Amino acid sequence: MKIKLLLSALTFGLTTAALAQEAAPLQISGSVDTYFKYDFSKTGNIKTSFANEQNSVSLGMIDLALKKTTGKASFVGELSFGPRGQAQSIPNAAGVYDETENSFNIQNLYINYAFSDKFSMTAGYMGTFIGYEVISPAANFNYSTSYLFTNGPFQNAGVKATYAFSDKVSLMAGLFNDWNAYQDFNGVSHVGAQLMVSPVEGWTAYLNFLSGYSAGAAGTGTIYDLTTAYQVTDKFKLGLNAADYHVSGGNGGYTGVALYPQYMVTPAVGLGLRGEYFTYNIPSVPNPSVTSITFSANLKAGGLTFIPEVRFDNDKDFSQSFVKSNLTPTKSASQFSLAAVYAF
Amino acid sequence: MKFFLSFLSSFVLIISANAQTENTLPIDENGKFIQYEVVNSTSKIDLLQARANEFIKKKSKILKLKKSQSDTVIMASGKFVINKTLLVMSRPSGEVIYHFQVEIKEGKYRFWLTDFKFIPYMRDRYGNFVPSTTVGVPLENNPGKLNAGEWEAYKTQTFKFTKEFAVEFKNEMANAIPAAKVKPVEKKVVKKEW
Repeated sequence: MKIKLLLSALTFGLTTAALAQEAAPLQISGSVDTYFKYDFSKTGNIKTSFANEQNSVSLGMIDLALKKTTGKASFVGELSFGPRGQAQSIPNAAGVYDETENSFNIQNLYINYAFSDKFSMTAGYMGTFIGYEVISPAANFNYSTSYLFTNGPFQNAGVKATYAFSDKVSLMAGLFNDWNAYQDFNGVSHVGAQLMVSPVEGWTAYLNFLSGYSAGAAGTGTIYDLTTAYQVTDKFKLGLNAADYHVSGGNGGYTGVALYPQYMVTPAVGLGLRGEYFTYNIPSVPNPSVTSITFSANLKAGGLTFIPEVRFDNDKDFSQSFVKSNLTPTKSASQFSLAAVYAF
Repeated sequence: MKFFLSFLSSFVLIISANAQTENTLPIDENGKFIQYEVVNSTSKIDLLQARANEFIKKKSKILKLKKSQSDTVIMASGKFVINKTLLVMSRPSGEVIYHFQVEIKEGKYRFWLTDFKFIPYMRDRYGNFVPSTTVGVPLENNPGKLNAGEWEAYKTQTFKFTKEFAVEFKNEMANAIPAAKVKPVEKKVVKKEW
């Protein structure tokens, strides 16, 4: 009886799969990632987002996204579970960063309406438009993340309008909540904009702006960001991210720049470097800075990508509290990691 | 026994249905996949030109006109999306870009699609699938053992697409009047007079 049921289910499944090839009503996609990290000082020195656990085969997250389009309307709902999508992201389901309330993280939850081929409006909770790197490891070349990513916004809730003047120029403007907040407790307090230009084929640049007064903040925070990538040759791509964030009244912020040269040896093997210079704007003290060099490889087989990575950080002002294996302070830190990311 | 026979027949039907799609594109003298056809036509050259241009205009979301050296040679670049489908779920794996060319002479025309290149998609920060690069991999390339299954599926979908594209294009070219010149049908108003 059980065999009959199984075979019936299998036959039904195969038949449905064959028929369903004509339609694509619902997109389901996502990724799963896991990693091993080893800091050469035998302690978790580098404190950028994710992949922090020392000498351990640790979890990233499972990320699940649904998208459906009906006519001109569409929605995206994307949830993640696991350290990368829970405690290490902000906020979680309770709307706060709290290890004890750790449940899941909403990456995207928005509705879009395309009034025409050129004009669309989106409302909800969206991945931030600021910066080069993102939370999902499937969309990053390097597995560890930059200081610019860690210190910038992760997501923005709000309403935005996008107008495409042509394939080469588009403008987005919107009103947003505080950074990484499902609900804004001091009103919709931020205004943001993004100008996209693509001067030549293969080169795209985004000029981003976001400014507003967050609940409980010491001043108005304003970020200017340039994110650009140029496919210089068939195999060589160069990316750049530069950002300046400051809170009015000299109440902090940061400035940084990161360069991302990447070379595809074959379609399945890529090598990439990330060089970053990052400065904290701290009131009343000389601004500490950090430099970081990360060398990563991407080895792809279908949906699977292996990312072996070596990273060296230099903290000349001791702002990162790096220590040697004997726990004495040091200016430098280095680590090796190997990550497996499966995107589907 | 009956049940096993019905299962076996269903399974054979599915395999044969799939086998029908296991065709590949022919290869030209340069070793590139090509969908090439010569079609005889009684229509005049200018009418065929208008129809070919109208076809590209209608398909403006997937076809972009390139600069041509003469009026009787029409070139365009195109793309179509490769979808991976299972049950009621679907997601785009990537897109295939291609070159489309039409050449027109008195009494006949020829057209072909070639230079097929696959561009994989990746999910962007907003959960949408977008091209991961601007550089495509020629469909003729050997993808290696690990990606062979998916690559075959891309080729099968490309073959299916080119067949449908060719039928659609020939239908457009066979139209008696270009779509742009078709007058809208006058609406008949039914008056309740008696």
